[in-house]
Amino acid sequence: MRTVAIHAVPEEQLTHVTFDATMEERISELLTHYPTRRAALLPVLWLCQERYGWIAPGVIEAVAARLGESPAFVQGVVTFYTMFYTSPPARYVLQVCKTLSCAVCGGRELLEHLKARLGIDLGERTQDGTFQLIGVQCLGACGSAPVIQINDDYYENLTIEQLDALVDELSQGKEA
Amino acid sequence: MPKVTIDGTVVEVPAGTNLIEAARQAGVAIPYFCYHPYLSIVGQCRICMVEIEGAPRLAIACATPVTDGMVVRSETSARVKEARDAVMEFLLANHPLDCPVCDQAGECLLQDHSFTEGRDTTHMVETRRTFPGLERRLLGPHIVQNQNRCIHCSRCIRFTQEISETAALTYKSRGNHAFIDTFDGQPFTDPFSACTADVCPVGALTIREFRFRKRAWKLRSTPSVCPGCSIGCNLWIDHHERTVYRFTPRENPAVNATWLCDFGRFLAESLNETHCLHPLHRVEGQLHRVSWGEAMRALALDVSAARTLRVVASANLSNETLFLARELFVRHLKGELVVPVHPGEPRRMKNGKGEWLYSRDAHPNSEGARRLGLELVDGERLARFLYGAADLTVILDPTAHPYLSTAEALQLLRVSPTLSLARTNHPTAEVASWLLPVASLASDEGTFTSSGGHVQRFQPAFSPAGEARPAWQILQLLARAMGVSALDLDSPAAVFAAMATKEKGFSGLEWERLGGGSPSTYREHQHVG
Repeated sequence: MRTVAIHAVPEEQLTHVTFDATMEERISELLTHYPTRRAALLPVLWLCQERYGWIAPGVIEAVAARLGESPAFVQGVVTFYTMFYTSPPARYVLQVCKTLSCAVCGGRELLEHLKARLGIDLGERTQDGTFQLIGVQCLGACGSAPVIQINDDYYENLTIEQLDALVDELSQGKEA
Repeated sequence: MPKVTIDGTVVEVPAGTNLIEAARQAGVAIPYFCYHPYLSIVGQCRICMVEIEGAPRLAIACATPVTDGMVVRSETSARVKEARDAVMEFLLANHPLDCPVCDQAGECLLQDHSFTEGRDTTHMVETRRTFPGLERRLLGPHIVQNQNRCIHCSRCIRFTQEISETAALTYKSRGNHAFIDTFDGQPFTDPFSACTADVCPVGALTIREFRFRKRAWKLRSTPSVCPGCSIGCNLWIDHHERTVYRFTPRENPAVNATWLCDFGRFLAESLNETHCLHPLHRVEGQLHRVSWGEAMRALALDVSAARTLRVVASANLSNETLFLARELFVRHLKGELVVPVHPGEPRRMKNGKGEWLYSRDAHPNSEGARRLGLELVDGERLARFLYGAADLTVILDPTAHPYLSTAEALQLLRVSPTLSLARTNHPTAEVASWLLPVASLASDEGTFTSSGGHVQRFQPAFSPAGEARPAWQILQLLARAMGVSALDLDSPAAVFAAMATKEKGFSGLEWERLGGGSPSTYREHQHVG
């Protein structure tokens, strides 16, 4: 399994976003799946998050213009969903499940261990910008609790040792 | 049409009418917060729940259209009362109890309902949710936001999406934390921004210009028409002790639904500008105060003696004033009369059917002047008009055209005697030999003809300041002083009746039926706004 690091484009490069040919092609393709342009908003935002690492205000404006919505409307949608990043994320976002099954199977211990090891609290990021720690609700993998999602990948049945090894690998810049 | 029984009253309403409007006709007030007759129905607030016979659960009245034979219980149902109590308790769980210091108090849907139906206790013991930093935020140039008071009805958001079409407002975040904001917190510069405060059922959005100037229950509302452009939006002049505090929209589906643009709305306070309070006569370069009697006697002689008489009327004057001016100065005295008009900023307004009405005409009554067969001139032709010689010039409204305040116009007016009606300080006062104080729209009565052809009546809110008189009355007094008894008509209604019999453009119209009737004949205006 390879977890791809997030490369968040700095905000100053996202003040006036124009979609390049690849993006434009993918957006146009997405639009063919939906009856209205508004209906394609979420997939287009996902695409943007994949491309730019996060949803900057400049990206919101570009998406709004492309889909014929107001920037306010698009920003309303972006802020509704917690999985869109409204500020540049770290390279690896550690999403620790806080819901019941994980909690009773050691999720809480994993979280406390991560906090101690990285020296950060929930919602914070390490100084070098490698890790960001957030607590999330059920990831739908209770059968293999405890679970941590890192960027887009699930790490299941984790022990503290496995987690340590994982964090070691990731912080050495290797893609796990 | 379907017949429906609401709390025992049978009403027949057009198919498709929802239960709130049907109940209104039956004299039953179903409470609502998120529903607005000119916005889409979202059914968010749940306070309008009613019991429908045969239906297992309570239904929200806003989203339930009538069907024939439907039997609805609102105030007569214990289930409804219980449900509404619960809704109120949830709405009030976080709503601050700051009515005494809230500017919406007195015209707040939540306060009204809480007062009439709500409980005086709550189960809420937790700390109330607050939005630090959003208690007193200037959302835009005219709107102050207090998010703590918001009940999340989304009326303001729907207004910007559906009516002003800027979609400038949105909810940010979600659930308990959701709050109203613009994109990236940018200023809310919608040209209809103040309407969002109108539609806000609580004190979450208030109008900066009106905040804390006057308690809502002190205000009296007088039906009037917006003087800002030719669209002719219907409005209420809200006033207290002879001061105009604000304009609020007056419902008219054909013109402005329940909206006003910011430009028109904030003309309200300009009606309070009254600098000219007494008739003044210039003798040897000095203005002297004279009585109306003296002024009229002297003017009657001056006017009759003038071999050439020219009159600058205005498209800001009522039909009645223009009619009297035409009859007196043109028909009777064979003078020349022009109505200067100048293009204004483009304005627009959305009517009750969702159609835009446009105007590039800065005057409320150009169409009326046109229908009276008067000559409408631009600045260029007004200048040519003033270049011609005349024994006497009459200016019925110095603000009729910006040209009248130019140095050139003043130079031309110096040449011969000038009689000017005046309310505010205007450069023409320096050259006029007679200044007669004229009342503002708030103290005038008459009709304007909108660019859409609606002849709409406005009523006087209070008597004029000082010795000022409405323009129509000044012309009537002059006609009387000159012995023109046919024009000695003692009210705008009488002038209108004369006009309706003589003029094709006004035939068949009756004063009493021109709208602007008694306030009680309207939907309770605070509550649709």
